[in-house]
Amino acid sequence: MAEKRQRARASTFRAARGAILALAGLCLYPSSAARADDETNPAEQSVARKDRGEQLQSEHTASTDKLDDTSTKHASLQIATYADNDHTTVFTPSIAGSIENVTQGASIQGRYIVDVVSAASADVISTASRRWTEVRQAGSIEAAYKPKTFGISLAGSVSSEPDYFSYGIGSEMSLDLDEKNTTLQAGFGYGHDTVGRCGAENSPANTGPSCTSFSVFSRTINRTSFNAGLTQIIGKTTIGSLVLDVGLENGDQSKPYRYVPMFSADVAPQVPLGASIPYVTANRLPERPLEQLPLVKRRMSLTGRLAHRLEGSTLRFEERVYGDTWALFASTTDLKWVFDIGQRVAFWPHARFHGQSAVSFWKRAYVSGSAPGWDLPVFRTGDRELGPLYTITGGGGLYFYLGGGADMQKMRLTIQGDGAYTGFLDDLYLTQRTSFVGSISFEAEL
Amino acid sequence: MIKLTFAAALFALSAAACTHVAPYERGKLAHPTMTDGQLDGPAAEHVYAVHEGATGGGSVAESGCGCN
Repeated sequence: MAEKRQRARASTFRAARGAILALAGLCLYPSSAARADDETNPAEQSVARKDRGEQLQSEHTASTDKLDDTSTKHASLQIATYADNDHTTVFTPSIAGSIENVTQGASIQGRYIVDVVSAASADVISTASRRWTEVRQAGSIEAAYKPKTFGISLAGSVSSEPDYFSYGIGSEMSLDLDEKNTTLQAGFGYGHDTVGRCGAENSPANTGPSCTSFSVFSRTINRTSFNAGLTQIIGKTTIGSLVLDVGLENGDQSKPYRYVPMFSADVAPQVPLGASIPYVTANRLPERPLEQLPLVKRRMSLTGRLAHRLEGSTLRFEERVYGDTWALFASTTDLKWVFDIGQRVAFWPHARFHGQSAVSFWKRAYVSGSAPGWDLPVFRTGDRELGPLYTITGGGGLYFYLGGGADMQKMRLTIQGDGAYTGFLDDLYLTQRTSFVGSISFEAEL
Repeated sequence: MIKLTFAAALFALSAAACTHVAPYERGKLAHPTMTDGQLDGPAAEHVYAVHEGATGGGSVAESGCGCN
């Protein structure tokens, strides 16, 4: 096992080194590409003039100490929906707003989001439960100040469900170097989750229908995260970034509703992939314990992003490699190609691939002993997102600038939709899931 | 430690190899499709967070998975 983990760690390091080498290679490429691509279109020249104009205005303001109100205010509304073939639907409206003062380098932004979740998935039905509906509300606010080359931001967020409450705070610093050709960033985040339980029989209804009060039953999870990154202008048409995230999670993340079926040593090897609820019910042992996950997790990911402007389109690429101390290793690749259609419209096809290995304690069919001791496995889970899986996502989006004349970019309507196919490679109940997420959003500069 | 030092040195070298681009040459870099942090909205980001057993690369502040 130790050797296997060592090999996996070495593999993650090789992937990280590969990403860095790729960025280094790209740095050598774009100087010629940039020269060949020097003829910018009128819209981009306008953006360049605006960019330079803002810089000159900033210098002028700094020298004369004038405090003109140059702030811009943005507001946006998004309505999104999610549905899958495992009988889960989510309806998600959200609003957001921001005030930015480019010349003074200050900004503040906030978002409020609501999730209305309705589920009757195989996991729910397998516990003889009925469809449930739940509402989650979340809000976040972030303030940033970057008068010159050094900036700092502070962020806070809160999320609440009848059986789950969490809050988080974070701070990030950034430093521009070499006339903003290079930007370094470092951040810190802390999150605290309180996990409760609803739906228990004879439970007090202090926090909602049949929810147990947090003072009677709750678990806490503490999450601490650090990140460090670098954004680099690679040429006149290319920009890239690398971000390293490290996370420390302490607490019991086991779901208080998730029961894990146990099998005898004779039956377990025979349990087929995607075994149905009747099959599991007929063949499992009477004992069915709750999920139990390790109480500590350390995770690390390295994310690289690259955006390259072509003639009339933009290619955006993102790759993330991930590993944690539960031995889950994953790779996520995301690609968007955004095409301009005139000055008002752009559309993009989108493709994403995610693949991951299972955690070290993953079993399709867990084995336990017999009564009265049962001799249960210490760690056990039925969480599909901890098992081996892959997801292929395909879709696209479209945006329209709706403003008039020179102010056309002051209003934007965006429509996007993605379909995803997930293959579960070693699971009970399900072997695949197809899902769709779509959204429509409207943004305006006030 | 040696590996980390090697990676950091390689990254610094890669940055040094990049072309210096003056502010007035950044018309294409300032295009909205280059500067928008995320074309995906918050809902799509949340779906990824719930469906994938991996995380990272996003915002520093995190709060609640909404998947309990």
